[in-house]
Amino acid sequence: MSSAIEKLMRLASAEDRFDYSAAELRETQVAALDERFQERKDRIKLLGHRAREAGTTEIRGREDMVPLLFPHTVYKSYPESFLIEERWDRLGKWLGTVSPYPISSIEISDITDIDDWVERLRAKGHYVSCSSGTTGKSAMLLASDRDMDWSRTDTVNVFSWGSGVQPTRDRRMMGLAPTAAVPKNLVIGEAQQAAFGDPAKERFRLPIPAITVGSLTKMIVLRKKIADGTARPEELAVFEQTAEARQEALDQAMIAGAEALIKYRDEKLYISGLWNALYQVAKIVRDMGYSAQDFHPDNCIYVGGGLKRAQLPPDYQEFVHQTFNIPANKDFQNYSMQELNSGMPKCQKGDRYHVPPWLVPFILDEEGLTLLPHETGEIEGRAAFYDLSIDGRWGGIITGDKISLNFSPCACGCEGASVRNNIVRYADLPGDDKIGCAGTVDAYVRGLS
Amino acid sequence: MNAIVAVLKPADAVVSAPFFLRGELFEGQDAIHRSRDLGVAFATPRIALDRVVHPRTQVPPLLNVPLAEIIDFLVETGQRIRDPNNPFMRECVDRMTVTHVLPRAVLEWQTRSAAAYLDKRLLQTVVEQNFPDPKALDEWVPKQDFTGRKSFVRAFAPRLIHVLPGNSPGVAVKSIAQGALVKAINLFKMSSSDPFTTVAVLRIMADIDRDHPIVKSMSAVYWRGGDDALERVLYRPQYFDKIVAWGGGDAISNVIKYLGPGFQLVSFDPKTSISMVGREAVSCDEALDLTADLAAADVMVLNQEACVASRFIFVEANQGEADRFCERLHARIVEKAAASGDTRPLDMDLREQIDMLVMLDDEFRVWGKTDGKGLVIRSDEPVDFHPINKTANVVRVDSLADAVRYVNVATQTVGFYPFERMPDYRDRLASCGAQRIVRLGEAGPSTIGNPHDAMYPLHRFVHWMAHEDGVEPH
Repeated sequence: MSSAIEKLMRLASAEDRFDYSAAELRETQVAALDERFQERKDRIKLLGHRAREAGTTEIRGREDMVPLLFPHTVYKSYPESFLIEERWDRLGKWLGTVSPYPISSIEISDITDIDDWVERLRAKGHYVSCSSGTTGKSAMLLASDRDMDWSRTDTVNVFSWGSGVQPTRDRRMMGLAPTAAVPKNLVIGEAQQAAFGDPAKERFRLPIPAITVGSLTKMIVLRKKIADGTARPEELAVFEQTAEARQEALDQAMIAGAEALIKYRDEKLYISGLWNALYQVAKIVRDMGYSAQDFHPDNCIYVGGGLKRAQLPPDYQEFVHQTFNIPANKDFQNYSMQELNSGMPKCQKGDRYHVPPWLVPFILDEEGLTLLPHETGEIEGRAAFYDLSIDGRWGGIITGDKISLNFSPCACGCEGASVRNNIVRYADLPGDDKIGCAGTVDAYVRGLS
Repeated sequence: MNAIVAVLKPADAVVSAPFFLRGELFEGQDAIHRSRDLGVAFATPRIALDRVVHPRTQVPPLLNVPLAEIIDFLVETGQRIRDPNNPFMRECVDRMTVTHVLPRAVLEWQTRSAAAYLDKRLLQTVVEQNFPDPKALDEWVPKQDFTGRKSFVRAFAPRLIHVLPGNSPGVAVKSIAQGALVKAINLFKMSSSDPFTTVAVLRIMADIDRDHPIVKSMSAVYWRGGDDALERVLYRPQYFDKIVAWGGGDAISNVIKYLGPGFQLVSFDPKTSISMVGREAVSCDEALDLTADLAAADVMVLNQEACVASRFIFVEANQGEADRFCERLHARIVEKAAASGDTRPLDMDLREQIDMLVMLDDEFRVWGKTDGKGLVIRSDEPVDFHPINKTANVVRVDSLADAVRYVNVATQTVGFYPFERMPDYRDRLASCGAQRIVRLGEAGPSTIGNPHDAMYPLHRFVHWMAHEDGVEPH
């Protein structure tokens, strides 16, 4: 690793890491972007292609980076037939176009399913995570051992900074999220357990089968077959039954989660989950006659992700916090995504997400083509980042999020760049009523719903 | 944003889009909307809801106007649309260039050619093809069955909401004409990329005779599709009989929740069109040149914005032959794109997926770049994405029979070569859901009065009413 990157990465565990202003980081960040670009341009095939098309040979300013940022959809750009027809060699070749490291050859003749393929790649140091999109293609994100190591440290730092909870290994871990068992999630879970969990107390997990890459892609494959007209009615009926059984198991698991919380209510808890599941469990706990006064006054909570389009009442956060007696100063929120390695924890005082020095933020126009001028104050637009902590793939990503980025100091006292707590996905914004007569079968044939 | 548009109209200009309600023009700046394609703002008045609904207790104004008179009125309208000095049309194209993805010259050509639908013989043929006895539109037609039971049947004037698409001004003209031919009370819901053409045509009609029943039967407004506040109010059988909707996805799923007895959907679904090119095409250079030229014509209908425009071209050939076809096809598409002056770059998502295929170059081959100047992708299976903006996917097959499995209910037009093999394929294509098979190169034109989207639309629009009149005494 070379100097500018090193300088920024050295701040990873620094107490004052959110205190460096955008202006004072600017020069080092641009130098770091160039270092990374020079080092990767001949190793990541797609990056090389992009650089040639844009005529980029050097990063002299942040704007030079814009044509080299990958849209988040790039990790969905594999031809779907590779997945459906289980053409592992082709999927491997596709991974090779976005990987900085040559994809090691693996034995593919006897691979049983995608979980097996993912496992064999993992054994060679290639960690493949899948996003849980059930309606469209699933993104496949590649990571390296270094990325896994980083996630282990960063997740603890982020949680500790945002929640004020010290990693003193004195809590019972209560995992209430039906999350996908992909490498990054697993590593984060283990790291949190090791840092905050009491080694003498067993970690609670929802009693449901692991959601693997395979179970996620199964749905995607079926959706495609439905659209193609190749799904048989019996196949669909079986799927409907499986979905129903899965929902039932999940409902049961929520009850088991509520019962466990009640059982351990006197202990100091570390509760983790997604808002939707946490709200459901909280509701069951209340219905069973328990609330704040029954729980330990020093509980803490780790919430991953946004609402994921779940329909919850407006006061769902207060409802969850009050049920489990989470003190106001232990409210934890984090802005991140599968595509990034690093988190942006929210401060208590300013209600803003803080961007660490090794994560270079860009605000682009809605189309994601142009960098908006930004020297001071706050501007709004499409979020893009270069995450210098990413090793196993290119760190530049254009997100689907609309954010407000501020270069002025936050009310919490931090001088660094921060993001307002009003993030929305462009895809969720109203106003898209464009219709035309040219479309695909997906546009009107009923899918999985 | 398109560079040409940016020069002509700054993005912050707010264009005004007036409404037309049963003969009256409404102007105002009560609401600001955004055209999704170009992100341009346009201002509209408030919708005077009571004015768009014609009470059921009053018969439709056009009911007893003879069809011949309606056709004459439409023909006169067409002449005025074609007049290059017509102030309403000129103003309309001026405004449209701000909100529409297509360049001005294409839009002007489209509006002029849209008026071609307003031709006397054409309109008469459309009616004759849609109704076994067109007299039912003008009068109660007497009937008697073999038991001697008598009755009168009328193709009664319906109340229609038309949800218009934004990709072709031609649909606006055609919808107005069809609504008039069935003597309907019509409410046109315009789209955000073209909230102008329908009102412009209705203004021309009001200019001919502002008190004519045809003018009193037409309203055109804009609201954001899916706006519950409005749709909950208007989408009711007490006010309308049928909703005639173009498009799919959200546009249709929003409509579906209001359907029920008395309020039905006639949908012109979103369609994909394809081409099937037999091995005869790759037999010699002459055949290759000819078929590449024909295929390019089908790809480039309305610069590939139309549903009849071909997107997937199945070619019965080996890889080398397919590549020779692709090379020629690409050259023809590039020529047509350059001639149209349309240089919109590809969307980021599409660009991303195509760039990836360039990387996977042992299985895919790409001619051209993702710069909007025309592009051809060769593959062994159709690509995952929807080829649009001058992008053709040539799919190599061993036999055209292998291509049939990619045909489905969303397949509209199949351009075919050689022509003599078409009868071999038409049953199989219909069985899979396709709706038209045409000679390669002729995706655009269609026989006047032919079914559209597997139906005779006018026949479905009307309210078929029977007057039973007892039994003939023996």
